[in-house]
Amino acid sequence: MSDAPTHRRAETRRLLQGLAFLSPNIIGFMMFTFLPLLFSLFLAFSNWDLRIHNMFHEERLSWVALENFTRLLQDPDFWRYLRNTLFLMMGIPLGIAGSLLAAILLSKDLSGGTRTSRVRIAGIALMTSLVMLGSLGILLVMGFRVTGMMLLIGSLACTVLIGGSIGGATIYRTLFFLPHFTAGVATFLLWKKLYSPQTGPINHGLRPLLENFGAVIVRLPDALIQGGLWLGMAAMAAVFMRGLLFLRNGWRDGELGGNAIITGGLLLILPVCCALFWLTLAPAAYALVTVAVLALIVLCGRDFTRPRAFTCPASEGTGVALLSGAFLMVLGFMFLGLSNVAYALPEMAQDGLTPPEWLTDYDWAKPAIMIMALWMAIGSNNMLLYLAGLSNVPPELQEAADIDGASGLQRFWHVTWPQLAPITFFIVIMSVIGGLQGGFEMARTMTKGGPAGSTTTLSYYVYTEGFETGRLGYASAVAWTLFLMVLVATLFNWKFGSRRTND
Amino acid sequence: MKYMFVILMSLLAIAALITRWTAPDARSDVPVLYWATDPNPARIEQIRLFHEWLVEEGHTDENGGPAIELRLDTVSGDPQKLIIQGVSGVAADIMDRGVPALEAYGLLVDITDEAEQMGFGLDQTFPALGEALTVNNRQYGFPCNVATVNFWVNKDAFERVGMDPPPQSWDFETFERIGKEFVKRANPPGERQTVFFCNALTDWYGTMVMSVMMRSLGLDIFNETVTASALDDERFARVLSLLYKWTYEDRILPTAADVASISGGAGYGGAEFSMFSEGKYGMMSSGRWCLIRLREFENPPNLSISQFPCDQFDNANILTRAAGVYAGSAQQDKAMLFFEFLASEKYNMHIVESADSQPPNPRFTQTEAFLRPAEYPHEWGTHETIARIARTSAIADARCPYASEGSVYRALVRAHQEVMANRETPEEAAALAAQRINDDIQLNLAQRPALKERHDADSIIQRKIEDLLEQGEPIPQEWIRNPFHRAYYAEKGLLQP
Repeated sequence: MSDAPTHRRAETRRLLQGLAFLSPNIIGFMMFTFLPLLFSLFLAFSNWDLRIHNMFHEERLSWVALENFTRLLQDPDFWRYLRNTLFLMMGIPLGIAGSLLAAILLSKDLSGGTRTSRVRIAGIALMTSLVMLGSLGILLVMGFRVTGMMLLIGSLACTVLIGGSIGGATIYRTLFFLPHFTAGVATFLLWKKLYSPQTGPINHGLRPLLENFGAVIVRLPDALIQGGLWLGMAAMAAVFMRGLLFLRNGWRDGELGGNAIITGGLLLILPVCCALFWLTLAPAAYALVTVAVLALIVLCGRDFTRPRAFTCPASEGTGVALLSGAFLMVLGFMFLGLSNVAYALPEMAQDGLTPPEWLTDYDWAKPAIMIMALWMAIGSNNMLLYLAGLSNVPPELQEAADIDGASGLQRFWHVTWPQLAPITFFIVIMSVIGGLQGGFEMARTMTKGGPAGSTTTLSYYVYTEGFETGRLGYASAVAWTLFLMVLVATLFNWKFGSRRTND
Repeated sequence: MKYMFVILMSLLAIAALITRWTAPDARSDVPVLYWATDPNPARIEQIRLFHEWLVEEGHTDENGGPAIELRLDTVSGDPQKLIIQGVSGVAADIMDRGVPALEAYGLLVDITDEAEQMGFGLDQTFPALGEALTVNNRQYGFPCNVATVNFWVNKDAFERVGMDPPPQSWDFETFERIGKEFVKRANPPGERQTVFFCNALTDWYGTMVMSVMMRSLGLDIFNETVTASALDDERFARVLSLLYKWTYEDRILPTAADVASISGGAGYGGAEFSMFSEGKYGMMSSGRWCLIRLREFENPPNLSISQFPCDQFDNANILTRAAGVYAGSAQQDKAMLFFEFLASEKYNMHIVESADSQPPNPRFTQTEAFLRPAEYPHEWGTHETIARIARTSAIADARCPYASEGSVYRALVRAHQEVMANRETPEEAAALAAQRINDDIQLNLAQRPALKERHDADSIIQRKIEDLLEQGEPIPQEWIRNPFHRAYYAEKGLLQP
């Protein structure tokens, strides 16, 4: 009994010590995160305008209830910038796939192997170094001409490959992760230079290719060029078919429920629907798409309407269907885009093909930013997470699948991918949050939201409304709407995403 | 661990104390004034001169040194930063980033009385600047410098292609004709175009040139009483359409892609000065401040001045980098000395000599040092022209109390970009620009009942003005709040005496 007060005192002391250690962080969080957050929620329902509500003006702040939110719904700019944000988010599935691919590559042993091959590699490295020195010489003597720059880039790429062959995966892992710990603004400025229409290395590389390609296209018979359109359409149809088969098999095996089929199906059908609108000038393609879609729907519809051997809840596998559907949708759009390019190519080639003007072109500015974001996403934390996940996949599962005669692809799809489910779930949530909130630094540094607002995202809009126009109340309403979207996306992921390996 | 924690805490506390102790304020024996401005190298010399002037005028401490120390705050020169700092109560004592914009937030002190007593009133500067320095007839600022933005012509570039330099004033057709001829002669056929008639007229410069061109057609961003935007007009559409034609069809102005390839910018470190100096741009839109950079070149080009192209009504813009005193400053009385300095001969002559635009007082634009700087004979003739433009045809921007400056600027830039990107026709872009500004006005009016009362009253006057214009009768001058319309109707004989 006499120990009890002593024990309590010790407990209290420990609690106080713990709180003392935590207090700087808690105080900081409360002061600089939590309270401002609450305050901004209050702002969203007020008419706070910095021009009239500040320490030098004494106009009364008014409670405007939902006025800011109703205005937002009627604001064409809000919808436009939301569309921009969602468009840029279309790169997320590709980014995730890229980081997974990078992680798979980096999990392999990439070192040179035997001593002889290493000596050979060292010889090539020496030659590459000489080329690099030569190109540096050209750069200095000829005033940094394009050829010298291209040689330098080429030799750097060779060095990277050779370095990786000698040093193994560690070198590649470091190089792949490099974009992540390079300061954002520096990266954006670098890409801005890369995208420079007349003098950037990207267009320098593309220009001769396109010029020659254009010359070839002009000489080719139209029917052959139109083959590209058919090829693109066929590829899109194949993607659609693959998606439907995936849904059908999942349904039949009791891995996908009704919600998953509807969600995945809607995403898959989207590029096809767009094709029907975009390709009205090509009746043959129109017919092909219609016939293919109808045939597949009939084929798969038969399975969906039959009673199945293995049943599951309606929400089963919705996350998988969503992710796979999104990925295939983006792929479908890509093929559709390519077939459109093929369709318009002969006409475009008449005046010669020229590289895009990237950030200064209304139509290319968003894809340009997406490409850069993709590059950043591949070598991001996602890649590290996947690398860690891959090393945790139990080898006995792989061996068992191997003994069962599973191919490499089957092993990946049925063993590795399900084991990575919790990581993918986390990455999807973080990427969606990042995608909805992102774009500010890029827009501010590279395009200032232009041309003509084509790269203005919601986060940039919050900045302009809040700090350039001074309407803090409205800016807060936009920010909280953004938060609601993030919340809904996260809840959706939480509800339907595959959080566990056995999902 | 807890010892480590205590040690780290102590180290941080010591570091904070050292930082505080070594902070500039703590080491000064005299009061310190901060001046939020742009990162122009000329500011260093201007501060030195201010300290010198203080001593000359007897504003000294007990050791005979200047009684005030003025320090630069170029980090806060960005208007957004300045506004956020200002409304939070921690801005610099003196700020020169746009008097009307800062006054709209209530950040500036009314200096009318001090200006009268200490000799930096409106009579000490260009008459056209009244609009840019006053709000409701009260003075809130005094110019650090004054500028009219025109084309600076590289006469050598024109001579090289066998052409005379462009005239000082010209209409749209002449501008187009000379421009086409210049780029045709300056660019070898079959090669990528590398020489342009002038630098890109986008963003801020775009708004400058659009404003002058519109005004020359009798149109301004705002109507006579500044109660609404007047941009939904075929004249603005014509200006947009001309800029598109000159950029993408005639190729006399560089496109956004050309600019991105040049990495140009007409700021203090931009490549545009090199492009202009080399003759890659036959002309460059700028204020007199461009001479600061051009004088650094080994062989600066011979220069002349051309105004932005005008239709019937010859006009130019006039701008000022006017300084104001921060309403939250604890040293407002000391800050007034800085304004006295801005009006002094010492400062005006420094601006004359350093070419940091035109001096605040037009009297000093008549000096020999301004008109014919001995070291720079290649500039002779330009100074006289720009000073004359500032005194005669220049008109300040209209100040609309109902719209936020940022929204107006963005609406103009966006209209320009939408046309350039082929997203809207010039007519649609013009209508959208007007709608965006008018929506902003309505939003502000809904929030501020007092402003709405004034707007309603002015709207009644606006209708009366429109009636009078319809009948072709003259309008009472006091009805018109827009400085452009005052000048325009005066020239057209439509103003009541």
